[in-house]
Amino acid sequence: MLFLYVTACTVLAMPRLAQAAGELSVTVSSATGAAVEGAVIIAEPLHGTARLPTGQKAVMDQRNLMFVPEVLIVQTGTAVDFPNSDQVRHQVYSFSGAKKFELALYAGRPQAPVTFNHVGMVTLGCNIHDNMLGYIWVTDSPWYGQSNASGRLQLHDLAPGEYTLRIWHALLNESGPQLEQRINVPDNQVTAARFSLKRPLRAPMHNHGADKKWEDY
Amino acid sequence: MGRLLNAAPGALALSLGLLLAAPQISRGGEFDLSLELRAISSDATATRLGGGLGKLRYDGDDAGLRLGYLRLGYRGDVTPTLRFAAEAVSYGDHDVNPIDLTEMYLDWRPIPVSAWRWRVKVGAFYPEISLENRMRGWRSPYTLSFSAINTWVGEELRTIGAEYSLDWLGLAHGHNFEFSSSVAAFGWNDPAGTVIGGRGWALHDRQSTLFGRFANRGQPLPELTVFYDDLDKRAGYTMSSSFRYRGLIELRGLHYDNRARLGVEAPKINDETWETYFDSLGARWTPSASWTLIAQWLHGRTLLDVPQPANAWSYNSHFLLVSNKQGRWRYSARYDKFFLEQTASNFAQYIGGIHLNERGHAWTLAAQRSFDAHWNATFEAIEVRSNVDQRALLGEPNAATERQLQLALRYER
Repeated sequence: MLFLYVTACTVLAMPRLAQAAGELSVTVSSATGAAVEGAVIIAEPLHGTARLPTGQKAVMDQRNLMFVPEVLIVQTGTAVDFPNSDQVRHQVYSFSGAKKFELALYAGRPQAPVTFNHVGMVTLGCNIHDNMLGYIWVTDSPWYGQSNASGRLQLHDLAPGEYTLRIWHALLNESGPQLEQRINVPDNQVTAARFSLKRPLRAPMHNHGADKKWEDY
Repeated sequence: MGRLLNAAPGALALSLGLLLAAPQISRGGEFDLSLELRAISSDATATRLGGGLGKLRYDGDDAGLRLGYLRLGYRGDVTPTLRFAAEAVSYGDHDVNPIDLTEMYLDWRPIPVSAWRWRVKVGAFYPEISLENRMRGWRSPYTLSFSAINTWVGEELRTIGAEYSLDWLGLAHGHNFEFSSSVAAFGWNDPAGTVIGGRGWALHDRQSTLFGRFANRGQPLPELTVFYDDLDKRAGYTMSSSFRYRGLIELRGLHYDNRARLGVEAPKINDETWETYFDSLGARWTPSASWTLIAQWLHGRTLLDVPQPANAWSYNSHFLLVSNKQGRWRYSARYDKFFLEQTASNFAQYIGGIHLNERGHAWTLAAQRSFDAHWNATFEAIEVRSNVDQRALLGEPNAATERQLQLALRYER
């Protein structure tokens, strides 16, 4: 009977053991303690490989002479579509080391998707509208996201272990060790991590040209 | 209404024809169209187009419904990095061409492979001088009437030649700023200075067209004004630089010299070479998503006739524009100040010792309401106070206050 009980307990516990996971709660604040919204947060496992996806897809739209979203985070191997929702033509390019590409002028119709196979940040520009700036973060890790209006991001189902936690922001005006932490994520626990920026973010750019009739003269 | 109906049918027919053909032609490009009708009330003296020295686009005789403009723009690709652009416009006035081009050029922009990017423009286009003319067709989103400086640019200046620009795209490299420098060589601008020397400054949105000409009935302007002609076979140049801080601040400087060889007569167009050179500085500040401030200053000289210079003018102008956008509304106010002095004259003795001198200032207030993506309306009030010595030649008092109200209904697609 005892044997049966132990066996039953073990069997019932197995799925739980198989899904051993931790949670990470990350908070990003400014030097004055204010919440920082929109910060890119990526947790990269120090050991072992993350679950690499296959056939993932994402979309980087162009709307009102802006890239939407301004920042896109994808896993390596993701195919990103670049539709154009504007009535004017765009010519999207990147000369970043992680992905150099260009998409010829087009309006309305999406071109063939661009696949991002190398880890790193890809800065997007439009050769016609120099004020358009967008970013694609490419990572091997499946654990990433952006901080909400409270400066928080909750990451779920992390494999227990050591992680390097990195943050970045489109308006970031600093570099240094304060943007990276090594953190241990134990099983079945919520681990908290806090980042505090040293310098104020850059001033946001105003999109005054959100009209096809506006043109650089 | 009469003038609208008399002058515009040709332009309307041509534009409608192009519009109907647009879906066929526009496979490799995009057309866009603007039509603006205006209700006018004005007590201004006769305008330049009416043979006078008025400072505004419309005078007392123009009260009523007028065609503001009908314009058609085209942007297309020759190759993935070579773009073709053309702007056609009709103003429904005395121009000999009912519809004509204001710009037509090729713009070659290789894809950047580093923070540096060069580009070349060839054709007829505006120099990079104005910070208020930001809409296709070189229109202003802020007011119906341009500043005195950019009214003159629209009247007499166009780069007809080639421009090379080098841009440093710092934003994409994590910096806060970008800068550009351009140099251009041009011809066909030897009459530049005719209007500023003869009439002085003005405030309106009536741009000259590349092949247009006016039949001016009054003194002291030539009977026919041709703006873009090459009389001396000597190229002029512009050099300009701009600096941008995160799209929030933009500074621009430009030096222009048409390098005209003085004394070359052109009886065919009843004109001769005018040497014109000037410097312009401008700044635009966008402190928030709703506020825009623009300031510009220009100082120049124009010379005419030999022995050099038998006639010379010195002129300057500056303005400050403040604009606020609240939802569908935009409110703008601008103050312009202008000055012109004829420092040498070989004809003053024949016209009672009068030199072509003037000074003045203007207030412009505008409110714009956008209804949807296609329709918007603008109300503009403008008052110009000026003291113009050559008004005596027309039997008018030197000092005048001119006022104009415009209500414009615009359709864009």
